[in-house]
Amino acid sequence: MQDKEVAQSFYSDKLKRAIHLLLFRRGKMPGAKEWELKEKLGKNFEQVIEQLNQLLSELDLEIKKVKESSSMETMQEREIRPGDMTRYFITLKGSLGLKEAKMIGWRIDNLAALAASIAYLLSKQGKAPRDDLERLLSNKFGKWKAVTLVDVFLRTGYLEEDDAGVTSIGWRTQSEVDLKALMTKMAEVKL
Amino acid sequence: MSEKKKVKRSSHASGRRELKEIVETCEAISERKFNPFFLDVRLGVDTLRQYFHFWETFADHCLDVHTLNRLSEVVRLQNTQLKFQSSMLYADPEFIARKVDRMSEKRLAEVFLQSWHPLSEREQLTEQTLSNAIDYWNALLPISARWKRREHIDSKQPSSASNDTLIGLGIRGEEFDQQLAKLLDELRDVYKSSGDVDYWSFVRRPEYQETVHRAYLVSFLVTYDYVKLHVHEAELSLVPTDQPSGKARPSAASFPIPIPRSD
Repeated sequence: MQDKEVAQSFYSDKLKRAIHLLLFRRGKMPGAKEWELKEKLGKNFEQVIEQLNQLLSELDLEIKKVKESSSMETMQEREIRPGDMTRYFITLKGSLGLKEAKMIGWRIDNLAALAASIAYLLSKQGKAPRDDLERLLSNKFGKWKAVTLVDVFLRTGYLEEDDAGVTSIGWRTQSEVDLKALMTKMAEVKL
Repeated sequence: MSEKKKVKRSSHASGRRELKEIVETCEAISERKFNPFFLDVRLGVDTLRQYFHFWETFADHCLDVHTLNRLSEVVRLQNTQLKFQSSMLYADPEFIARKVDRMSEKRLAEVFLQSWHPLSEREQLTEQTLSNAIDYWNALLPISARWKRREHIDSKQPSSASNDTLIGLGIRGEEFDQQLAKLLDELRDVYKSSGDVDYWSFVRRPEYQETVHRAYLVSFLVTYDYVKLHVHEAELSLVPTDQPSGKARPSAASFPIPIPRSD
């Protein structure tokens, strides 16, 4: 019984360390890399993360594991490449309503443009020339706004752009958006 | 003998041309301008075979290898596309574009929200932010000195904006896009007739508000590469771009231009 208590307190200490690593931003990107977690939490870090995930699920949060890879690769290439660096994030488990999204600083038209951009890029295997994307958005939002919106999405990490002007899905979309659900919902919408 | 040479030379030239065309097509496919299946890879390989025995120089062999390399990249992209089409994420780009066009902004946002799980993070003090705060604090004047400074500034109480003000700010009235297009046309006309356009003579108008508004619009045109701003010591000139990219350059720097009221 005493042993169990000792083990639990040791474990809660690790849980605290894990939540600090995952929640507080230290570099350019939020979350923590796998090697950081391994270094700070020990070899059994996955068990610690699992336990923390159970605690967070009660708060409608979850820990997500995302593979980091170069923006030059398409979605499928990312899946087949082994040995990628892995990053862990805390994300919302459920979803937000329109009012809640507005409260955290998102405009409806910006969300709509992001949805359109991601769906379009996915339909083009995760990559498309920036001009094509801007043309798609300008039909709905006007030319100047389309350019500004793409800039915003690039700056916030939802999209990425290479030197040749090819836009692709960014790390943030990978981490935050359930791509399959998005495409399914898009297909389901009746016009 | 000379006929043979001629035939060889023409095959040599046409071979090079064909290989370059294949490379260009492959490059366009890599940049996602065309579908990977747009190119018949077998035909490309046959073309390589057809001209291989004509190659003599090192450059020709390099071109041959480069073409083969590009073709293999297209095969890789074809493979990726087939895998992608068999996945759940596949949707025809035209179909998506049509949906986006027809769906209301609200509906699009709702669809997105159902699949969006935003990141959660906390911001906190770091050594750097503390150091910045100390620098700010050390440079901050005492409140009495700051109040003294404020006393010298003539300020107005906030008032409600009239319809004219809103129109003047571009919030109401003519669409912003149209205003920009109109100003760009005006600049192009001036440039055609007299070459480089002096910034101040183009921007300045009798009314101060109008001058500021034109300067504001010009700043957009410059940022998005529709117009180039040249600075020669104290002189500023504007030149419309032949083929504007319509994008803000990542390496662009801010160039503040104060607009004095007296001018």
